[in-house]
Amino acid sequence: MTEITSTSGVNITQKYYHQIIIRGNGLEKFNNIIEEKTSIKPPLKNLEIKYDSNYLFGKNSFDQWSLILITKKDHQQILNLVSSINTNENMLASDYSHGQAYFEIEGENKEIFLNKLTHFDLREEKFPKSTMAQTTIARIECSIYNLGNKFVITCNKSYEDYFQKRLKDTALLSNAS
Amino acid sequence: MTALRNHNCNYISNVKINFKFDGKSYFAYEGDTIASALLRNNIRLVGRSFKYHRPRGIYTCGIEEPNALVQIISEHNEPNTRATIKRVYDGMVITSQNRWPSLSYDFGAINNILSPIFSAGFYYKTFMGPKGFWKNIYEPLIRRSAGLGKPPKNFRSKSIHQNHNTDILIIGAGLSGLIAARKFVNTKYKVLMIEQDSFLGGILKNSNKVDTINGLNSSEWLEETEKLLSKAQNIKILRNTLVTTYNFTNHFVALEDKFAGKKIDLNKSELTLHKIRTSNTILCNGHIERFISFRNNDLPGVMLASSFEKYIHRYGVVPEERPVIFTNNSSSMSLLNSMLSLGCKPEAYVDSRKNEEIETDIKKILKENNIPSYFEAEIEGCDGNKKIEKITIRKGKIFIKIKSSMLCVSGGYNPDIHLFTQSKGLLKWDKNIASFKPDTPFQKTLTLGSVSGNYNFNKLCDEINEKLSFLNTAKLDFEIKLNVSNKYSIKELWETKSKINSNWSKSFIDLHNDVTIKDLKQAISEGFDRIEHLKRYTTNSMGTDQGKISSINSLAVVSKLLKKEISEVGTTTYRPPYAPLSFAAIAGRSTYEFYDPQRKTSIHSWHLKNNAVFEDVGQWKRPWYFKTHDKETMHQAVQRESKMLRENSGILDGSTLGKIEIKGRDALEFMNLMYTNAFTKMKPMTSRYAMMLGEDGMIKDDGIICKLSDQHFIATTTSSGAPKVLAHMEEYLQTEWPHLQVYLNSITEQFSTFNISGPKTREIMRKVFPNIDFSNEAFPFMSFKNFDYKDTKIRIMRASFTGELGYEIYISPKYGLELWEEMFSCGREFNLIPYGTETMHLLRAEKGYIVIGQETDGTVTPIDLNYNWMIGKNKKDFIGKRSLSRPDTSREDRKQLVGLSPINKTDTIEEGQHIVELNELPKKIKNPIKYLGHVSSGYYSPNLNHSIGLAMIRGGKNLLGKKFFVTVSGKTKNIPVEVVNPVFVDPENKRLIS
Amino acid sequence: MIIIKCPYCGERDQSEFSNGGEAHVVRPNNPESLSDKDWGEYVFFRNNPKGIFYERWVHSHGCKKWFNAVRNTSTDEILKIYKLKEKRPEITEFKNCLKSPSGEPKVGSGNFTVKK
Repeated sequence: MTEITSTSGVNITQKYYHQIIIRGNGLEKFNNIIEEKTSIKPPLKNLEIKYDSNYLFGKNSFDQWSLILITKKDHQQILNLVSSINTNENMLASDYSHGQAYFEIEGENKEIFLNKLTHFDLREEKFPKSTMAQTTIARIECSIYNLGNKFVITCNKSYEDYFQKRLKDTALLSNAS
Repeated sequence: MTALRNHNCNYISNVKINFKFDGKSYFAYEGDTIASALLRNNIRLVGRSFKYHRPRGIYTCGIEEPNALVQIISEHNEPNTRATIKRVYDGMVITSQNRWPSLSYDFGAINNILSPIFSAGFYYKTFMGPKGFWKNIYEPLIRRSAGLGKPPKNFRSKSIHQNHNTDILIIGAGLSGLIAARKFVNTKYKVLMIEQDSFLGGILKNSNKVDTINGLNSSEWLEETEKLLSKAQNIKILRNTLVTTYNFTNHFVALEDKFAGKKIDLNKSELTLHKIRTSNTILCNGHIERFISFRNNDLPGVMLASSFEKYIHRYGVVPEERPVIFTNNSSSMSLLNSMLSLGCKPEAYVDSRKNEEIETDIKKILKENNIPSYFEAEIEGCDGNKKIEKITIRKGKIFIKIKSSMLCVSGGYNPDIHLFTQSKGLLKWDKNIASFKPDTPFQKTLTLGSVSGNYNFNKLCDEINEKLSFLNTAKLDFEIKLNVSNKYSIKELWETKSKINSNWSKSFIDLHNDVTIKDLKQAISEGFDRIEHLKRYTTNSMGTDQGKISSINSLAVVSKLLKKEISEVGTTTYRPPYAPLSFAAIAGRSTYEFYDPQRKTSIHSWHLKNNAVFEDVGQWKRPWYFKTHDKETMHQAVQRESKMLRENSGILDGSTLGKIEIKGRDALEFMNLMYTNAFTKMKPMTSRYAMMLGEDGMIKDDGIICKLSDQHFIATTTSSGAPKVLAHMEEYLQTEWPHLQVYLNSITEQFSTFNISGPKTREIMRKVFPNIDFSNEAFPFMSFKNFDYKDTKIRIMRASFTGELGYEIYISPKYGLELWEEMFSCGREFNLIPYGTETMHLLRAEKGYIVIGQETDGTVTPIDLNYNWMIGKNKKDFIGKRSLSRPDTSREDRKQLVGLSPINKTDTIEEGQHIVELNELPKKIKNPIKYLGHVSSGYYSPNLNHSIGLAMIRGGKNLLGKKFFVTVSGKTKNIPVEVVNPVFVDPENKRLIS
Repeated sequence: MIIIKCPYCGERDQSEFSNGGEAHVVRPNNPESLSDKDWGEYVFFRNNPKGIFYERWVHSHGCKKWFNAVRNTSTDEILKIYKLKEKRPEITEFKNCLKSPSGEPKVGSGNFTVKK
């Protein structure tokens, strides 16, 4: 965990997680295989996320899932999981562990802060708790997960430096209102 | 001519501050605008007009100001600032604009005497010929005299953007806006209310029209309302914020001045651009008073009547004790009341309406106070030197001359329809108010109060209750008592007749752009009878004020001239922005270091430490070349890197290459369709150089395809092409071949990729990976293998883009930098060097390899490159296959890839030059020169010791050995070249495959 | 910037999408059997009407899924959005959609703002 910045009512930290992107048809057999391999029932509804202190499992679209593993693991374990899912003909799992950057945004002003960087509608009725979305933040493609008290944002690792700077800059310039 | 202070005004503090205008110091009170402060100091002349450099003063008290534009020196030289909006702070430095040498003695005023040549269509008529004058004389001349202020210099804005998503947007916090907002207090709706002023209240503060609301006087009601709204959790209010843009699907742009009335702190953002998306829009943006055209209606001292009243109430300054009032409607009663209550008596009251049309209340006041009144009369004109001195009234055939220094004019109120029409709503002409008002909205737009054409404020509450009833909010009941007549009445009056004819005497229809009624008449007589044409020909209402006080007047004048109904003439199109919006605000933070998002590889810090010079490839920062010492030039570095690599070994950070994982039952079929190559017979764990076409047969991208099995592939793409290639694949999978069971993932970011090549590469690899057999037999060209590395896996592929023995290493970014450093510590004894993209380009050109976007430009097929071997001719279909046999694509004389070698080895072949048959170009080209093709790549080869080129030449395949000429930049003498095989180095591929 | 409702992600700003041109242009099954003219028609020719238009969109900065939309090109209103597998809606469904906001003047710029 790295503190990135904090300003009134907003706290941003960077996290280091593992991630696997899974593609498949989402039918019963698919769900069973995923559950067998990961011991987690994949979310069934589009844009739904399931999470606890160990993982964050989101359904990005009707044929794509992102499984974020929060607790630190050996890379070999992740790769084994990926190749064991890939033994199934019509599934594709790709390891995203070290190619993504993870940021967590907490605090009562997190919405207004993020809306300085994205047009995305963060209102509860449009982006409820326990859902995720793929959108653009600070002009780059990101995934955003709503965990109620905080947002988890992931983007490509190559943008890490740029994204950190944009977050810090926005915090610095967020003078009154 | 003295201004008075209205001590009853609560909105201006007693704290005195100082500011400078044109070098002189003046005082102001906190809360003053530049205009109110100047009026307080009896400054009436504040600028010079655009075209004729006529003296101009303060005409209005708001955003509609056409004259009083100033330059703020103390704010990074911000030009064209409306003095009527911008608030003063202590130490502010302001200058007037468009004058030289000074405001009172302006040399440009000679234009006024020369005015006959500046008439309508001036630009179109004057700058016609002779040929060559435009570039050398007219354009520089126009550029010098164009615009008003001078642009700011060396200014780095820190403006930020703020997005909002809301249920209800209320624009304008005047009386109707506040009543509407009160209906939403503590409801389920999320409300955003925007006010351009720093105060809420509108006419409650700008006038004394409203006496009481539910028994409370207006300031008490305002206080109660503000308290209520600020407590409501669901309502947010933005002050000092101007809505400039109303887009489709209820999207708005508004600009907030964060430092209104304060000195700018350059470390903070001075402007916020709000981008708002709402479900319902409530426009409460009120009305704007219009003027009347008469002779010299631009003299300093002419001011709109309601603006005069606003200065009294809102800023506590009475600009003049004894002005003349000129009106054609009932609203000026309010001004009369305001003045009389302060003990000021107008010099005269001129009303163009007939005696019987004028409200008895008004007549009573005039009589009681003994004010000279002229009914059914008008102002003929006014005269004076840089200010009004004398006003001429015409009543019937009689002319009355009155001495006064100010003239308050009211031509009636226009609903401020700008935003409504931006939203594509339709307008309708309303005879009762003699103006356009909103009729049919195109979006979910409501108009409340005076913007809807309802000037009868006592009925406002009913109107609001009715129009908002669909939102099921509680009914409000406010009894609004007025100090003015309950019913608005007006008589159309647009211009008055002048009795004096001279160049100096002008009757303006557009003050900002110096357009006169005469110009309109002339344009119409020249045939410009459509309003959109007329506007452009005369530049009427094209100033930064967009004709806010005058555009309806011009429509009316034109309709009279054309003998048409005003609704037939129509309006010009209202486009955003409502008022000028600075580029700094639009750009927001997307400037300088954030101009474009930057992507960096996991090796970036090493590159920095090793003096890499970077090149932008897409959004990636890639090392272009590495400097060994400060004075090394790019040419020297690239020559050194290229030579060293072919002698020893070099390594390139190729992490930016796109990588796509492709998997599924039908992966093989899919790959056969997407690429020209045939993948069916390809053995697992081998790789192949492949080409992707569009349906038109033209090359889109290239890359290496690794086949893990018939169901599993990994494709690499060019660095900048990666997103396009993935999107292209997804498009076909989703739209054309949904029956194919294939899934794709971008894995570009999941691997750091190193391309190592050169004759000593095998030895280095053996040292870095002692357990791997790199012999040619065990690890042949175009094969790949996976190996364990710490707790992860690496993939090594034998491939090369330089023509030397080479490997590509794919490793998790977790260990990227570590392995890169390890390779250097092992490679040191073999003189391993890092190299950048420029050396890569040079080396591949020596080998005759193409680069997408350099040799190809969207018009090149694989056949044009002699890459027929890559085309799976036996495949039934692949994207672009059918197009390769179209007559145009199979032409023999298409531009084809060849190599060029200079005949004189000291000559340099430049990239982008033409290939011609002439050894010298004529000094003056009269007839087109026959063009054979162009040089697509040109480098000095350190390994051949002469310049080389790749070129696309018509029918090039059959021209080997032929002699042509290549043009040279800036010279007519061409250099002779020979057409050669594009592979300059190792044509037998000995280095590559052994 | 208009709002577009991705059938998978919901309403989003237009900046997240890319337009893919005319919809329901099917890639020929057997391109080799087509004449040069017919193939040329498929590759290069598309309709571009003023008014109701069936077109393709992709949520390129979101879920990356393609879908179809019916749009009134003269008003920019999106009248219907449907998934690729769904049936193409009949044009008669959109008879009552809004005319161009400016009305359609017989002559002139097409930007008339006043109701007659």
